[in-house]
Amino acid sequence: MTHTRLNAADIPVPEKTLKFEGSGKQALEQGRTRLLIAGTVFALAFCVIAARVIDVSVFERAEEPRLAEERGTLTHKTGRADIVDRNGMLLATTLNVPSLYADPKYIMDPIESAAKLRTVLPELGHADLIAKFSDKKRFTWIKRNLTPRQQYAVNKLGIPGLYFQNESKRIYPQGPLTAHIVGRAGFDDVGLSGIEKNFDSMLRDGSDPLRLSIDIRIQHILREELQTQIDAFDGIGAAGIVMDVNSSEIVAMISLPDFDPNRRDQISDDAMFNRATLGVYEMGSTFKIFNTAMALDYGTTTMRNGYDASKPIRIARFTINDDHAKNRWLSVPEIFMYSSNIGSVKMALDVGGDRQKAFMKRLGFLEASAVELPERGRPLAPSPWRPINTMTISFGHGIAVSPIQLANGVASIVNGGVRHPATLLRRDTTEMLVGERVISEKTSIAMRRLLRLVVEKGTGRNANAKGYLVGGKTGTAEKPGRGGGYQRKALLSSFVAAFPVNDPRYVVLAMVDEPKGNKSSYGYATGGWVAAPAVKRIVERAAPFLNVTPVDEEAPEIRRSLMVKIPQTKGKKALASF
Amino acid sequence: MMRRSMTLWLLLATCAGISLFLIKHEVQEREDRLNALHREILADQEAIQVLNAEWSYLNRPDRLEHLIRELSESRAANQLQLTSLDMLPQLLSEPDDLALANRGGNGIILPMIRPVSIKAGAQ
Repeated sequence: MTHTRLNAADIPVPEKTLKFEGSGKQALEQGRTRLLIAGTVFALAFCVIAARVIDVSVFERAEEPRLAEERGTLTHKTGRADIVDRNGMLLATTLNVPSLYADPKYIMDPIESAAKLRTVLPELGHADLIAKFSDKKRFTWIKRNLTPRQQYAVNKLGIPGLYFQNESKRIYPQGPLTAHIVGRAGFDDVGLSGIEKNFDSMLRDGSDPLRLSIDIRIQHILREELQTQIDAFDGIGAAGIVMDVNSSEIVAMISLPDFDPNRRDQISDDAMFNRATLGVYEMGSTFKIFNTAMALDYGTTTMRNGYDASKPIRIARFTINDDHAKNRWLSVPEIFMYSSNIGSVKMALDVGGDRQKAFMKRLGFLEASAVELPERGRPLAPSPWRPINTMTISFGHGIAVSPIQLANGVASIVNGGVRHPATLLRRDTTEMLVGERVISEKTSIAMRRLLRLVVEKGTGRNANAKGYLVGGKTGTAEKPGRGGGYQRKALLSSFVAAFPVNDPRYVVLAMVDEPKGNKSSYGYATGGWVAAPAVKRIVERAAPFLNVTPVDEEAPEIRRSLMVKIPQTKGKKALASF
Repeated sequence: MMRRSMTLWLLLATCAGISLFLIKHEVQEREDRLNALHREILADQEAIQVLNAEWSYLNRPDRLEHLIRELSESRAANQLQLTSLDMLPQLLSEPDDLALANRGGNGIILPMIRPVSIKAGAQ
């Protein structure tokens, strides 16, 4: 249709409808239908889109987050969690350590580059570097594990063709100080010993640091004092433990000789051996603590009773003698304070083998300690438990336990008589502690008095740290020889103490392996001369860190709480040889 | 009529287009910034990790002890120098009253005025 301007009058009045006939009509109909269909489709599509737009923008859906979320977590993952001490000081961590490598293709002048690089890494060989730089390979390590400072210096040189690759490496900032506790992880971050091995999977999965019960300050004091004793008495090793008596948390634990876990190539087998937990030893007289507690707790004797210790005991081919012989009747406090073997044997015989075995089992001396280390020694206990064993065990021979078990046992004797398993993990203070009752509270209080007596007047006088009320027991054991029997010269001298003994907070154990007597100890290498002075110094130095304040030892209430009445046999005067 | 609505729509579409572009640009910029911050945070955390290790290394007790011996006059405290607060002699009256009574002009607490013996003698 064309539009032309016409006068209205000129236009003929059209008929109502136009009528096409034939092919014209058909084409028009077809066009109309197509238009209709296309229009409908488009309209529908737009409707759908509009509906969707409204749906997306106006309506809320449950799975839609209300706020934009961050992708991924924002914590630096190292692949292995840190280990920290009780105060949060880092004991083991994983760092990304850069290693330097070269792509010789891009090194323009090998000789000059080598000379330049040696200005910051002088330990590298000149000829070696030139050889590496002129190599045909595309990759060659120059130096592994650079420090951040070295990396910066190398970067600053701007030598083309040198690149860094980050590798993760386990670092032990405290070095040998906690070597036996923390242990070490090898290549590929696999735990090989200590806590690293025991909590391997936990350390690998978690990112929160693992908090130990160890305090590195006490750990340092213990290590230094034990090393002093090894040096002074020419010992071959030492072990020491400081333990919280109420929670059985291990505050410090040392085994000497030790090793630096950062130097994987320089670790000897002897240094790897953990004397405090893996080694089992016949502890000697320190076992009289348990023997006396046992006899008092079973009620077979009392603090007022005593035994005749004037004659040695002969059984089979053995003779049991006293080291500090008094050759007379001794009361129970005296037996303990002079460390009489004869008296102890008689006390144990009154209790009997079965009850003794049950008591040792309750103290955990018949199975390995529960401490969280893979290096746990199984105690050596007699089987069957014969009368001769009952006799020797009374003074600490014929049963071998690890030092950690001894410390744990003493803690349960002095803390009121409840045993909690030793732990290296820091306990939550709110955690309810469930323990197993070993002896009655009354016996525990009696034992505290006896331990104080040893330090005040008996064999442990060298451990008397003034003001800290140390109470303890000496132990000197002969080490078993190769062909059975004991070696008179190879001793294991120990001292185990609790302080302040009127209300014990900590147990301290010091043990020196094969000390030799010297002038300062008048030739003695016994626990009272070798280990007791170390315990004294450890207590004096550690108490301020452990929040133990010194007290006036002569104060009447303290005197009263620790008083022991030593009964005398008729006709004999009190010995003035205290 | 047709033309006016057409212009209006065109104008609206242009406005929408421009604002969409601006918003998108802004979002992109912020995303870049966010990523940069994330990278920075991770780098900082790694640096903190290194510094923590160094802090622990420098705080080895034997090193501290050595430094104190070399550089400082202070020695390990004698056991007589250690005591707890409740071991100190008791105050004469309530600490609050005393503190108020003795407070100087500039709020500094002055030493107690009455010594113990005088009070005891007066009673």
